[in-house]
Amino acid sequence: MHHFTFLDIVWALIGAAKWTVLLSLIAFAGGTVVGLLILVLRVSGQRPLVEATRLYIEFFQGTPLLMQLFLSFFGLALFGIDVSPLSAAAVGLTLFASAYLAEIWRGAVEAIPHGQWEAARSLALGFGKQLRLVILPQALRLAIPPTVGFSVQIVKGTALASIIGFLEVTKAGSVITNVTFQPFTVYGLVAVIYFGLCFPLSAASKWLEKRLAIGRSH
Amino acid sequence: MMRIRRCAAVAAAAVSLALVLSPAARAEGNSLDDIIKAGVLKVAVPQDFPPFGSVGTDLKPEGYDVDVATLLAKDLGVKIELVPVTSANRVPYLQTKKVDLVISSLGVTPDRAKTMSFSEPYAPYFSGVFGHGDVKVAAPADLSGKTIGVARGTLDDLSLTKLAPADAVIKRYDDQAAAAQAVISGQVQLIASGNVAIAALNKENPGKSLDEKFIIKQSPCSIGIRRGEPDLLQWVNAAIYSHKLDGSLDEMSVKWFGAKLPAFPVL
Repeated sequence: MHHFTFLDIVWALIGAAKWTVLLSLIAFAGGTVVGLLILVLRVSGQRPLVEATRLYIEFFQGTPLLMQLFLSFFGLALFGIDVSPLSAAAVGLTLFASAYLAEIWRGAVEAIPHGQWEAARSLALGFGKQLRLVILPQALRLAIPPTVGFSVQIVKGTALASIIGFLEVTKAGSVITNVTFQPFTVYGLVAVIYFGLCFPLSAASKWLEKRLAIGRSH
Repeated sequence: MMRIRRCAAVAAAAVSLALVLSPAARAEGNSLDDIIKAGVLKVAVPQDFPPFGSVGTDLKPEGYDVDVATLLAKDLGVKIELVPVTSANRVPYLQTKKVDLVISSLGVTPDRAKTMSFSEPYAPYFSGVFGHGDVKVAAPADLSGKTIGVARGTLDDLSLTKLAPADAVIKRYDDQAAAAQAVISGQVQLIASGNVAIAALNKENPGKSLDEKFIIKQSPCSIGIRRGEPDLLQWVNAAIYSHKLDGSLDEMSVKWFGAKLPAFPVL
């Protein structure tokens, strides 16, 4: 068995942190695209579409991410579809993030006074233009801080991808602990790495909140 | 985290159940031919259970199970693909054909044999209860009122749960290291674990070594193979048989466990 020096542990964890960052980026990018789509359907006012998206959101918010990842990796294999761990993680994390983001953004959209919709309609704008030109620019202001806040959850959520074989930073911490028997050093470093990833996001969220001056009367 | 692990267990059970019910799972295959044709042997190996499988400084798997897997691939004349697994997901990996073999310190039980086939034993393992010298325990009945740590879902866990008196407090941890840390730090008085893991632990903690209190059960490890694969099973058995005779398994055993292989009961 190799002996891990302190530096070995640090480098190994930083190497594993690459997966944490990559998975977070995939989740956030995928979640944004799919989440926007869900949002549009959710506020479209078409009853079947609204109900379908509500079901979608309820499902992904109401079941554990770990289970979603497990099923997207092993579940599809049952039907003879062989998915790579990366595509299973991309699908699982995207669905998860999109459900939460769509719901966060719906809150922002619904916070815009109804008069704005009516005003846009009175200018003969269609639904798409009402949303794109009038509502979303205003909702964006409200949505940015909670969106950034949720991205912190995504970063920490990627730890669950270890169930389908990813050696991201939490799992790397646990396998290194199994060799070195130094949990305090190893998990301490894991915590520092997460903090290094999440703190800038939290700080950005605070900064944006101030800058966009949420809550000021319009 | 505890809740999450439980979810994983539930999900694993759900998939296992679905597998039992799905027609694809029962279909006979010929993985042996497929492996040779594909030129790759995919093997599930542990990465959190030294000395069977742990990681080197580059986080690549290494250990007795990894060496056995590599040896089998060489015999077949194919490349090895090591898939690091945990004790919670190694069975789904096999059942969903994401790996061909599970070489992951797997113990044999009639229950497990319902979902997979087992090879002849290839590695020694006995589980026991271990603790510091000042804890007086010599038999299962003495566990009454004691706290015992164990890695969740392992054979140690299953046997201990069956054996321990009702008022023994069993604390289940996510992996071997967490259970070991609990007994080292005094959160639990005793640990139920495999002999080899305790040997590795004692080597890392010379001042605080754990003594064997009693043996729970002999349980040599076998290689797991999907059911309905008689050719592959026969091939694996032939490989183990010949490597027991040519001494290469003994060599690996000395390297990782510090002793030659004991005589195994025949499966």
